[in-house]
Amino acid sequence: MIDQLFGFLSYYIPELITVILMTTLLVAEASVKDEHAPRTKIHVFTQIILGIVFVCLCQNLGETPVQIFHNAVTIDPFSTLMKMIMVVGTMGAVFLSHSSKDIYTNLKSEYSIMAVGVLVGGMLLASANNMLTFYLGLEILSILSYVMTSLKREDSTSTEAGMKYALYGGFSAAIALFGISHLYGVFGSIQFNDIAAQVSSLEGSRLAITLVASILFFVGIGYKISAFPFHMWAPDVYQGAPIPVTTFFAIVPKMAGLASLVRVSYVFLSEGSPLKVSWVGLILVIAALTMTVGNVTAIGQNSVKRMLAFSSIGHVGLMILGVVVMNQTGVQAILFYGIVYMLMTLIAFFITSHLSDMYGSDSYDVFRGLVYKHPVMAIIMASVLFSLAGIPPFSGFVAKFNIFAVVIEQKHYGIAIVAAINSVIGLYYYMRLAKNLIFGEASSDEKVVGFSTLNQTVIIALFIPVLLLGVFWESALALAGNATIFIK
Amino acid sequence: MMGLASYLIISLILFVVGLVIILSRKNIVAILLGIELVLNAAALNFVAYSRYVTNNLDGHVFSLFIIAIAAAESAIGLAIVIRFFQIKETIHIDEATQLRN
Repeated sequence: MIDQLFGFLSYYIPELITVILMTTLLVAEASVKDEHAPRTKIHVFTQIILGIVFVCLCQNLGETPVQIFHNAVTIDPFSTLMKMIMVVGTMGAVFLSHSSKDIYTNLKSEYSIMAVGVLVGGMLLASANNMLTFYLGLEILSILSYVMTSLKREDSTSTEAGMKYALYGGFSAAIALFGISHLYGVFGSIQFNDIAAQVSSLEGSRLAITLVASILFFVGIGYKISAFPFHMWAPDVYQGAPIPVTTFFAIVPKMAGLASLVRVSYVFLSEGSPLKVSWVGLILVIAALTMTVGNVTAIGQNSVKRMLAFSSIGHVGLMILGVVVMNQTGVQAILFYGIVYMLMTLIAFFITSHLSDMYGSDSYDVFRGLVYKHPVMAIIMASVLFSLAGIPPFSGFVAKFNIFAVVIEQKHYGIAIVAAINSVIGLYYYMRLAKNLIFGEASSDEKVVGFSTLNQTVIIALFIPVLLLGVFWESALALAGNATIFIK
Repeated sequence: MMGLASYLIISLILFVVGLVIILSRKNIVAILLGIELVLNAAALNFVAYSRYVTNNLDGHVFSLFIIAIAAAESAIGLAIVIRFFQIKETIHIDEATQLRN
């Protein structure tokens, strides 16, 4: 028994380190004497430990899929890759928070504590193998997110955003839980394995209850990835939260939500499932509406932060499409998209955050003529915008292409057309900003200062994979291709 | 005679009452209470199914977790509402309009 437990723990080392990191950070923050001292040491420590977590995850990647803790948690290459994306996203967001003025100095290590806490929830959600771990992961993720949103304590918009997030979040989690309770009654088990085994033999009233309950269940996931009918919180939260928090929200909770969406879809759509037609139809409609709402709303925005936040809703809509096809290529496409999206989002928010700290605003105007003020920054920002819009040779193109390929392969032509139209809309608003960057007249000759060598190194280091993955995408795709989903 | 059906009907009533409160009340604390009602409806379902249908302990364990998480969630929710009250001096949801454009 004890031996078995320790055997299981050896698969769970990354999560354990993350939890210990969170508690250590709490103690470290309590021991800080000067409230306004920069928390450099704490941030360096966080980065190092998260780096170690990343290395541990790399080692888990080659393992055969395994279910641990009485089948409560699955460690498979898919969840491990998702966790790696989340860990890198957290590292980027914590690094950004160190230099950002949007987070009060005395709250800088609180930001790290909560970001690491959300990461713990995300990791649990990505490898959840029963309803209980799913719900726990979702709530750890959400509850800490509410606090992160209202981190700017003195600011009324931040508090209001946090409050709205808490209300929407609590509401949708409660509804999802009601769905889960009926699923438990129908299947007699909370294990995903048992549900997947029984779902094809459903009929009569049990099928009817399952249909309604699984839609309620989807509310919980849909709200986390801000899919269409539950995206209402996203604009407010993204606008009200400080920029490093918005960056974090655009990456970690979304990736965790997507990972669980993929897994749950696999559970309910195992061979011969009577839910297949309705579920696929539902996801197609949701994906189309999510994309359209995200992209169309992004056009009218004047704040770059809001524009990026809305476009992230559009990107998620595209990623959901990879779920529809329910095969290995679809999962591959989602993972590749996730990696590329994470890198691009980090860079774009990074530059926006710095400019917004400098000029006190993040409107399109502060980007005007950036190429004369800081060429490196402007070139990287423009390239990332091209990549986000899906223009070759950048990796954003390959990511979009993969999704289109799997969708067309399954003959969902209608949704492919909707996605293509959305790409054109995306091209319009990204290019509007890129035009400002390169051809706009700068309002003053003032150079961009304070963008340190370290910052430049980091954005260049993040940018190199965006460029390389656009060319050598086959090897990255092969890595994602081994990421099998493991339910049975 | 109390059967499974009575429990399910009670939990459905709790769920609907919770939803109505969330959607219609303007007081933020009342909305938080509505969320609690929906959570309790789910917990009641779990226990009832556990007793009458599945005969395993999963449902009981789940409902214990629900109670713990509901407490954490309302603690955070109330903390944020207090902050909101200190800034705006009201807990009326219609006053939270700064983020609409």
